[in-house]
Amino acid sequence: MKSFQHVNVFSVEEAVSTLKDCKGSARIIAGGTDILAVLKDQILPDYPEVLVNIKTIPGLEYIREDSSGLKIGPLVKLADLVSSPVVKENLKVLAGAAQTVGTPQIRNVGTVGGNLCQDTRCWYYRYPHSIGGRLLCLRKGSGPCLAATGDNRYHAIFGGRGCFAVCPSDIAVALLALGAEIKTTGARGSRTIPVQDFFNPLGNALEPEEMILEIQVPNPPAEAKQQFLKYTIRKPIDFAIVSVAVLVVMEGEVCSEARIALGAVAPGPLRATEAEGALKGKRLDTTTLEEAAGLAVKEAKPLSMNGYKVEIARALVARALSACL
Amino acid sequence: MSPYFITLIVNNQRYVLEIGNRPGGVKPSHTLAHTLRENLGLTGTKVGCNKGECGACTVLLEGKPVLSCLVLTVECDGKSITTIEGLEDSQTGKLDPIQQSFLESGAFQCGFCTPGMIMSVKALLSSSSSPTDEEIREALSGHYCRCISHYHVLEAVTRALHKSR
Repeated sequence: MKSFQHVNVFSVEEAVSTLKDCKGSARIIAGGTDILAVLKDQILPDYPEVLVNIKTIPGLEYIREDSSGLKIGPLVKLADLVSSPVVKENLKVLAGAAQTVGTPQIRNVGTVGGNLCQDTRCWYYRYPHSIGGRLLCLRKGSGPCLAATGDNRYHAIFGGRGCFAVCPSDIAVALLALGAEIKTTGARGSRTIPVQDFFNPLGNALEPEEMILEIQVPNPPAEAKQQFLKYTIRKPIDFAIVSVAVLVVMEGEVCSEARIALGAVAPGPLRATEAEGALKGKRLDTTTLEEAAGLAVKEAKPLSMNGYKVEIARALVARALSACL
Repeated sequence: MSPYFITLIVNNQRYVLEIGNRPGGVKPSHTLAHTLRENLGLTGTKVGCNKGECGACTVLLEGKPVLSCLVLTVECDGKSITTIEGLEDSQTGKLDPIQQSFLESGAFQCGFCTPGMIMSVKALLSSSSSPTDEEIREALSGHYCRCISHYHVLEAVTRALHKSR
């Protein structure tokens, strides 16, 4: 790996001031499972001069329960999220999503904050610099989206604008269904960003000198059934072709609330609001579920090679919903 | 930046390493896999893909399996690391029962993925005395064997379990 300076920071304030002092030439390292691969392949035109290690900040690795919900520190490891009794009990969809990330070795190191901030897996974007030079595109500052005209079998079927790369985070999909918010802090103070606003077509909402401080997950409605499903080519060590997180609340025979979030189909995780609306107040039989699944992908605009993702998304939504009955 | 020192405890042995850009030293950009192999001469840890996709470089960091190609050495200060070389009995040279089971089951062909696999099995059997088949598969899910020895590996783990009973 090309060299860089490595700085341990011991407080959030120190992290932010170090990032600020470096004027954009520093990157945060937490678990490192994504950033180190990005650096090894030198996929970005700007190679950081400094890596700011935030693992040395005490008190950012907690899972805390209060009356409003669960607060998760950004340095919580994915393996600890999976094994946390309170997450398993109340946020099945989140534990389920975290369980599907990478491999046991990656989950032992990778963090919740890092999973949300990881860079996209678009193979043009990730193309290694050592093999004939990196490929430039809009996401790297300028250039056309190579996936739009190239091999786009793993790219977006919703909402790509100039860039058709998809968000690879599994837990983001679960957090969206749970209505979570992400608290951040940076040079311009702290803010709380709903998960749906955290992602944008070219990455995420974090500024260069900003970091995640906490993930806030409100209590899901009592008796809510939850299900996370992820379709991959191989079971472990793989990113989603499509993933889906659903949350269903029943009142007797009738559905009183439904939330459906789709992953790996758009630049960020995506709520299927029209499909949710079609379930509300209905008895959930096969016809209703199929109808909702159809509505979830109604607006999909697949590219030349990824029409199959529409069908997978539709099937996953139907399966996840029926698993909640 | 002036050089400074870190301590690694590798296979119960203490190593003090200089971090800096001097030749022969450990650079901040060096991975644990690189340091183990190039500085400490512990070449039992293999580097396959070098980007976290194959599991060959798995070592135990504080008892948990991690990918040494995706861990910076500089971030391991004061940490305890176990590599494949640390499994045999240092006094007698007797192999760990897991290593012996892999031999007896012929759980490899080329053997490149084997050290990593054994480290994951070591972590599993240290934390659980009677893992289910599903737990064994899950613990090994981060390892690739291109010679397709997976079934023999599962047999070796079962054999190691019987030995420990």
